[in-house]
Amino acid sequence: MTNSQIQVNHLVKTYQVPVREGGLRAALRSFARRQYDTVEAVRDVSFSIEPGEIVGFIGPNGAGKTTTLKMLAGLLHPTSGEVRVADHVPWERRPEFLRTISMVLGNKSQLIWDIPALDTYRVLGEIYHLTSTAYQQQLDELVELLDMRELLTKPVRNLSLGERMKCELVAGLLHRPQVIFLDEPTLGLDISMQGRLRRFVLDYNQRHGATVILTSHYMADVVALCPRVMLIHHGRLLYDGGLADLAARLAPFKLIRVGLSNGHTDFSPPSGVEILQHEDDHLELRVARAAAPAIMAQLLNTLPVIDLVVEDPPIEAVIDQIYQEGAAVLKTAEPPTGASEEGAL
Amino acid sequence: MNHRGGWALIKRSWASWLQYRSFFFVLAFGWMIPPLIYLFVWTTASEPAPIAGLTPPQFVAYYLVLILVNQLTFAQTNWTVGDVIRMGSLNSWLLKPMSPLYNAIASEVAGKIVMMAFVVPVSIILAIVLRPELTTTPTQVVLCCVALSSAWLLRFFWGLWLACLAFWATRADALLALQDALIFLLAGVVAPVALLPSAMQTIARVLPFYYMVGFPVEVLTGQLASSEVATGFVIQAAWLIVAVVLYRLVWRSGLKRYSAIGG
Amino acid sequence: MRYLRLIKYFMLSSAQADLAYRANFAIGLLNSLLNLIVGVLGLAVLFSQVNTLNGWTFASTLALLGVYLTISALRGWFIGPSLEVLAGIEGDVWSGRFDFTLLRPINTQFFVSVRQWNWFALIDLALGLGAIGVATVQSGGAQPLSFLVAATASVAVLYAILLIFTALVFWSPGLLFTWVFDAIMQLARYPIGIYPGWLQFVLTWIIPVAIMTTIPATALTGDIQPMSLMGGVALAVILFIAASVLFRLGVRRYNSASS
Repeated sequence: MTNSQIQVNHLVKTYQVPVREGGLRAALRSFARRQYDTVEAVRDVSFSIEPGEIVGFIGPNGAGKTTTLKMLAGLLHPTSGEVRVADHVPWERRPEFLRTISMVLGNKSQLIWDIPALDTYRVLGEIYHLTSTAYQQQLDELVELLDMRELLTKPVRNLSLGERMKCELVAGLLHRPQVIFLDEPTLGLDISMQGRLRRFVLDYNQRHGATVILTSHYMADVVALCPRVMLIHHGRLLYDGGLADLAARLAPFKLIRVGLSNGHTDFSPPSGVEILQHEDDHLELRVARAAAPAIMAQLLNTLPVIDLVVEDPPIEAVIDQIYQEGAAVLKTAEPPTGASEEGAL
Repeated sequence: MNHRGGWALIKRSWASWLQYRSFFFVLAFGWMIPPLIYLFVWTTASEPAPIAGLTPPQFVAYYLVLILVNQLTFAQTNWTVGDVIRMGSLNSWLLKPMSPLYNAIASEVAGKIVMMAFVVPVSIILAIVLRPELTTTPTQVVLCCVALSSAWLLRFFWGLWLACLAFWATRADALLALQDALIFLLAGVVAPVALLPSAMQTIARVLPFYYMVGFPVEVLTGQLASSEVATGFVIQAAWLIVAVVLYRLVWRSGLKRYSAIGG
Repeated sequence: MRYLRLIKYFMLSSAQADLAYRANFAIGLLNSLLNLIVGVLGLAVLFSQVNTLNGWTFASTLALLGVYLTISALRGWFIGPSLEVLAGIEGDVWSGRFDFTLLRPINTQFFVSVRQWNWFALIDLALGLGAIGVATVQSGGAQPLSFLVAATASVAVLYAILLIFTALVFWSPGLLFTWVFDAIMQLARYPIGIYPGWLQFVLTWIIPVAIMTTIPATALTGDIQPMSLMGGVALAVILFIAASVLFRLGVRRYNSASS
């Protein structure tokens, strides 16, 4: 296990938050004496991540994703448990460790507001102790990848949200970190900018073999980037594995859409098929994942099919189900019987 | 007019500001310090011999009352209203079905109450430690209350029209620094106005700043002849009218400009 | 050497940010002038009524004011702006932007102490030094070397106190401890002797702002005692160490308590 880039064993984090209720009386009471609640943000989480992996942390708000991320980056002391990132204990915050990691937060800026990003980069180059050739080379590469040369000399406050995010990414990656934490990097960005940043992260990961840990509420980010996801809910690691498997476990169904040739509207369902919609010559069916191939063959044999599409249920629906119903879903869900190899979506 | 909405706003501001109590305590503490310094300066200076008829315990009384008056009349609108205009969050005020004046008053009242929770105990402790000498009559107390209320109104509307200048210049708060300096020099903080050199004294008695702080204090401590009290009230009322008129003018044309530009 | 270069870059980027708002220069100048005028007029009003204040003449009180303005200017140049980034409701600790600071592979205390420079404070510095100059000429007998040592110690004491107040932010992120200090610092405009005994005690031993201005001012007027000079230097060293320790504890607390 020593060659894992990130190794986490039995990580626990609890902290205390003041309790406040609404209303004047409660405000007066908390004025006199504050009460505290203990929050278990992360409960006994263990995993390991190999160099070059891209892993998505998913889970509802307040699930413990960001807390875990912060412990990996050395910003938080865990209450108990062990963490090693790039062979360092993160919260010792040694300069060598800090030079190998980076954190980019979608909702916080590390750029200086009133001056062009380029000037912030110079300061960062100095802070990370880059030689001038390395600085220039790495800056050029990032600027090339993100196609943003014209943004460098504009004051940050004049940039749009998407442009600013590009600048944030450059600031975060300028020192060529081996481990990159991306917390909601696409927050508030438009669709095409989201796509662009995703391609960039993938590109960068392939070029430099950097390990990337991503949290995002946009499932599209996770689908596009992360072969592996970790589902965190109420501070527990509920699932660690491929996204497609997660979907298969949670929703052991496939959707089949069938278009029939003109005029043919009769249809009697074979057993194990549930009709979701039947409009003239268009059918929408739900079948058990394992039975799907057989039923498809049967449909093709018995009906004048002109069009047939097989789909997984949309990932957002699956995730929403977990967020709403919590761990119970995962426990009751059948393990995948005929695990499909085709990618979700 | 929407009094119910206004009252709810005051209650809410108070509740939320109680949670920021430390912020207000710090503010109140900071505002107390300059008068406190001059309390000690003048009590020390008047130890060998009374200055302008004032003995050290009388200086203590003057400045302790001044600290209270200064806190009660301090115009927070400079910061609350001015910042709202500058930061562009005025829209949310304008969308509410009541006059934005209520927002200003709500934060004013709420802030004052929270700060009094700090200032009154501290003043009482200072009074016990420093032993002021205050001889006053019921008439003076009543007159002082009147002078204090209109001093508060004067400073409130004065601060409001200055704050509304933020519609035109984002850096209008520079004027506030100037105003602070004038209040410090002319309103009776650096010294009771009677102790100022004669030119400064004349200016102080004409400009509005003395009527925001020093005047109610001197009405209470009995440093003024009754004719001076009468003229004082007239000048104070005149400045109050000026301040209200200025506020209405500046607010209206500022709002026109704001909606024309689109915030 | 590397840290000196870093300071250079921090200075440059702050200068750029300052220049982005040209109007601020005029406002800074106005504020500085007001500050000086208010101070001098305050003294003028006082000394129009009395000849000495607790043994201090106009010239020596002016020297005190000059030292006060100069030290405040140094504070406003970089110590204040750098440390204030951490405090307050919009501050880095409250908002969590302090995370970025912790992620930097350089000494955290160094970084938070020198990263912002307010170049307009140089106007204050010039005016403060001007007041010192006038007071020195008026009183005569200045001891320049003692003054330099005392002034350096004072700046170190100021830095240490501000760092202590800033470190308290880690325990109460919303509280503006540096504002408290600003308020207390104003007490140092006047000779410490005018305050009652308990306040003198506080200003000498607990929050030693009086020492910061009084010792250099007595060096300017030639009345300084060698003991108080040495005491000032010793205090500076002790406070600097104490402040660094407290700051480190604060960072550790941030590490374990924030969400």
